[in-house]
Amino acid sequence: MEKSRREFLKDVGKLTAGAVTAVAVKPAVAGPQRHGGDAKHRWAMALDLRKCIGCQACTVSCSMENQPPIGQFRTIVSQYEVKNVDKPGKPVDFFMLPRLCNHCDNPPCIPVCPVQATYQQEDGVVLINNEICVGCGYCVQACPYDARFINEETQTADKCTFCYHRVSVGLLPACVESCVGGARVFGDVRNPNSEISKLLDEFDVKVLRPEMNTHPHNFYIGMDGRFEGKVQGEPPVWDIRNAAGKELEEL
Amino acid sequence: MTTSRRNFLKGVAAAGGATAFAVGYAHTGEKMVTGLVKGTSGEKTDSAIYGMAPKPEYALDPKTGKLTLNPDQQVSFTMCLGCNTMCGVRVRYDKTSGRILRVAGNPYHPLSSDPNIPYETPIMEAFTALTSHDESGLAGRSTACGRGNAVLQEITSPYRILSPLKRVGPRGSGKWAPISLDKLVAEVVEGGDLFGEGHVEGLRAIRNLKQPLDPKNPEYGPKANQLAVIESGGSGRGDFIKRFTFNSFGTRNYGSHGSYCGFAMRAGSGAALGDLRKYAHGKPDFSNCEFGIFIGSAPGNAGKPFKRQGRLIAEARTDGKMDYVVVDPALNNSSNMAAMDRNRWVPIIPGTDGAFAMAMTRWILENQRYDAKFLSQPGPRAAATAGEGEWSNASHLVIVQEGHARSGHFLRASDMGWSVEKPAIPIGKENPAKAKARKAHEAEEGVLNHFVVFDAASGKPQAHVVDAPAALFYSGVIDTPNGPVMVKTSLQMLKEAAEQQTMEEYATICGIPQETIEKLAYKFTSHGKKAAVDTHGGMMATNGFYSAFAVLTLNTLIGNYNWKGGMSAGGGHFPAAAPGPRYNLKKFKGMVKPRGVFISRSRFPYHKTSEFKRRKAAGQSPYPTRAPWYPFSPPLLTEFLTSHFNGYPYKLKALIAFRANPLYAHSGSRQAVEEKLKDPKDLPLYVAVDGFITETNTYADYIVPDSVMYESWGWIGIWSGYLTKASTARWPVLEPAQNKYNGEPITLELFLIEVAKKMGLPGFGEHAISDHHGNTYPLNRAEDYYLRAAANVAFAGKPVPNISDEEIKVSGVSRIMPAITKTLKPEEARKVAYVYARGGRFENASQAYVGDRLKHAYKKSHFNIYNEKVGVSKSTITGKRFSGTPVYMPQVFVDGTPMEEVYPRAQWPFSAISYKSNLQSSYSIINSRLTQVHGYNPVGINAGDANRFNIRTGDLIRVSTPGGSLVATALVRHGVAPGVLTFEYGFGHTELGARPQQIGDKLQPSSDGLLGAGVNINDLGLADPRLKGVSTLGDWVVGSAARTALPAKIEKI
Repeated sequence: MEKSRREFLKDVGKLTAGAVTAVAVKPAVAGPQRHGGDAKHRWAMALDLRKCIGCQACTVSCSMENQPPIGQFRTIVSQYEVKNVDKPGKPVDFFMLPRLCNHCDNPPCIPVCPVQATYQQEDGVVLINNEICVGCGYCVQACPYDARFINEETQTADKCTFCYHRVSVGLLPACVESCVGGARVFGDVRNPNSEISKLLDEFDVKVLRPEMNTHPHNFYIGMDGRFEGKVQGEPPVWDIRNAAGKELEEL
Repeated sequence: MTTSRRNFLKGVAAAGGATAFAVGYAHTGEKMVTGLVKGTSGEKTDSAIYGMAPKPEYALDPKTGKLTLNPDQQVSFTMCLGCNTMCGVRVRYDKTSGRILRVAGNPYHPLSSDPNIPYETPIMEAFTALTSHDESGLAGRSTACGRGNAVLQEITSPYRILSPLKRVGPRGSGKWAPISLDKLVAEVVEGGDLFGEGHVEGLRAIRNLKQPLDPKNPEYGPKANQLAVIESGGSGRGDFIKRFTFNSFGTRNYGSHGSYCGFAMRAGSGAALGDLRKYAHGKPDFSNCEFGIFIGSAPGNAGKPFKRQGRLIAEARTDGKMDYVVVDPALNNSSNMAAMDRNRWVPIIPGTDGAFAMAMTRWILENQRYDAKFLSQPGPRAAATAGEGEWSNASHLVIVQEGHARSGHFLRASDMGWSVEKPAIPIGKENPAKAKARKAHEAEEGVLNHFVVFDAASGKPQAHVVDAPAALFYSGVIDTPNGPVMVKTSLQMLKEAAEQQTMEEYATICGIPQETIEKLAYKFTSHGKKAAVDTHGGMMATNGFYSAFAVLTLNTLIGNYNWKGGMSAGGGHFPAAAPGPRYNLKKFKGMVKPRGVFISRSRFPYHKTSEFKRRKAAGQSPYPTRAPWYPFSPPLLTEFLTSHFNGYPYKLKALIAFRANPLYAHSGSRQAVEEKLKDPKDLPLYVAVDGFITETNTYADYIVPDSVMYESWGWIGIWSGYLTKASTARWPVLEPAQNKYNGEPITLELFLIEVAKKMGLPGFGEHAISDHHGNTYPLNRAEDYYLRAAANVAFAGKPVPNISDEEIKVSGVSRIMPAITKTLKPEEARKVAYVYARGGRFENASQAYVGDRLKHAYKKSHFNIYNEKVGVSKSTITGKRFSGTPVYMPQVFVDGTPMEEVYPRAQWPFSAISYKSNLQSSYSIINSRLTQVHGYNPVGINAGDANRFNIRTGDLIRVSTPGGSLVATALVRHGVAPGVLTFEYGFGHTELGARPQQIGDKLQPSSDGLLGAGVNINDLGLADPRLKGVSTLGDWVVGSAARTALPAKIEKI
């Protein structure tokens, strides 16, 4: 890796590969017992932001695969137009940031569930049983990543499952299968020979909101520290209008 | 309004800002009570854990790597039609419901995978390679893009047309009555008082191949030319349409979307590559290129192929070799901050790309940074000796003497008095390869046509077939048997064209600092042949032809074509609808050769028209003509309707339009022709073939339904950006949903077949297709044609293997196997099934290179610094010759008047530009799973400009051009150059469901207008103020639509 990149990545919240492995083998922090899955694996995702072209193929393929209500998402790619205040002469850039449930090793969403509808498997995947869920929304509010939502159809908590219905039969999550640029790499961090383990060895990866100590398991390559938490930016567009300027109704 | 959707839009609005992506707890308090009382309060899902996700299509045994298919689902490889790229995809559908579940990429297909999996790979292994088995599914992933993932929704869209329709009431009233196909065909063919509005001439009466449509201008051709058949283009069905149009019905007038898509680039590329028939074009070899300049093209944001370029650019800027800049008025998704210095955005003033390119040219020539070794080889022998694969006309002498009869032409051997017997140089010893190259060239060019060059060493004139380098620069006289003639080399002419402005002037024009231009020129010329400049639709301004010619000539200056890491004209394709190895699908008994002038006045020399002769004979100047004639353009769809309404050169009587929506897609078309299209007296018959009602076919008299997406047949080659041979098959992987006629789904093909049979036209019905033994076969159904095209593909070169019983099953080809066996010969069936099972035929990725060269090199012509065809052609408005070399032209109107003289900057301080969306295309707004992600296109405005106008993001602004006006939401951006307004294409629909239409007794469902979200820049398109009658603004040389860099002004509302 180029020296300049290393310099660039020296920032708060940097998570080294060693630390990842250490986290991965640690037993879960206080909270309900993990159940289901196979402790031999620890599923995780690396997201190489340098390869993301912001095409949203992941977003749409997730929506097609998991069929959440229209307008509700388990993953998206946030896209930021960045004017670097430190280098005013530098041209503006686009920064792409795919987001999804982090399947944290210390998931704050689980202890708050009053009915234990949401739980973590031995392999780290955080899931929700929507027949137990009462839709109270505590988990939605506990998640520091806004990764959960109340499904408008089921009225229960919903989020990314890492496509565990596919992963458990040897397939890849829909978003990974459809990642045009190859930014999303899914795999087992307990397998030292896996592609993701190699990436975690090679790159100084970062996680979102490291200060929350949630130990997320989505690892970002090429992450600018300024995007780890809340991003200061201009307000975006809210109203949808036609060419006559008429505001249109929601579907 | 749900907060989730709106919040999500924030995230993708490219505005910078929002972090939240799914804040869905707005209603939780209320629901909590319900939930506590009743348990789950909402709808029940298929699985408590996985919700509504379907069961996987197959399962892998991690220990054995064995794959077990889900017997309830089918995965088949076919073609996507979500945009014009047409990628190979894998369609996964549920056998019970017949519904498609999800679409991803076809691993055999180079547009969806890189490298594509070897063609001979068994299908079960190809499936396995997509899984976690050895993690092969990561690098071996085969993807669909965001749009490709969603467009399956078009199949079941409530706006889809299922029955043939006839309008009720006036055109555009939005009311339709279902009609049977045979009745529709009878009415269209025989005509009559079809709408109670008076007599309408039917196709039978129009098809008169003998009588001229205009006796005063017999060159216009027969009356049959008064039918025009137009299509959006490229859906893999074009050859079938052309068979009907040109060779069966016999009209000259077939037109496709190119002239309002990217034809300026194609024309400029064709000029540089010496191919003004097919307009050859290329893309960089992304995987080995070391430096790329993208100007008016945006890999990763758009383009053709969109997805493959996105994949390759992502790889190139990280693990790969390429650094690149994107020269564009607005920042686009080619930019990636995380990849840091490996990519950079260079803002440019719209419509000035030619100035940037000519500045690069000037610097490269002045600093001798061009590839002199390549450029100085005057012909094939010298190129072979020098180890160059190609040669150019840089050293060829052009007659520049004013008043000389052949001014503008190359000086030829015949001008020098040379002949075959008296060659300029003795042919010495040749090795067989060189002799072959020379003879092939001589056979093509003819010795008398040999170009004349000055030998670099001796300074003596020689024929270009000399085996030695030639002088690159010369300006002066040459002695010929007919006296001295003033000549210049092509490169000399380019140099003088480049010197028309200083570097400072060019920098001022294009808004890029001189230092940046020089650095880019230095960098571009620092990688040998492993650098490339690429362009595309961003050229579509009034000066697009010369901009593209200038930009693409930079590639010629470094001689990068056909080299690893340079430019590639593509890998080619296998013959399908061709005189192929099994069937001749091009020729048939009784086929008509269309005659006459295209209604777009293309490709026909004006000086050979009756009009020219009449005006000359009357002692008048033959210039200007009422509208331009385009000496080296193909039929231009941009001119079809305006030419008709102006009656110049002549009027049409009928229009058949397949998925063609010019009123939406062609800049200024709506303003020019919409009102006139409403009048059935002017264009009496308009039949549309489409799955949906669009902005244009809403004015049709009849609409024929069609198969949608993966329901139809088709064959297509890849357009660009690939290195290995590929032909993509589309076949109905599921039963078409529209109505049937005599058991066949009603499609474009069935409509044309039934019309042809009703009229007794050649090329359709019994005995329409022949094989090489002279046996004949019927063409009564679409598959009679496409399956035989497939046989040609399967048997091209070394025939493909026979498919196994198992693969017929696992590929889903079993669905069409009865049609294959019924239609084809026994020895063809299993090979054709093998091809369909893999979604086409694809050369293996290992075949891309031979050493440092591309295996599939562009060999159609030599490279043109000076294009003779362009250089001797005249504008029929001014009567003046065009420049044969690239030159900087400002934006002009058709008579050469600078746009700024008519629409001064002071009044029109902005420039409105269009760009292709990475998510939406012409039809895609109807797919809710796509539109939920990106359903709106606010207009981008530079932050400084916004500040001056006191505009904030979300404010309403009125954008006006001399051609139109609309209201848009402003999106304040730093990534938009000052003075620029950006319009993303694919929004601002008024049909496609934005207006519910009455079909029989049913009103289409209301979308609350949401399908009409946003704005369409084409509604701001201009007319050419220098033309009388109706017009749309175009490139002044080649007639492509001017759909970007429009003069505009804004006001805050």
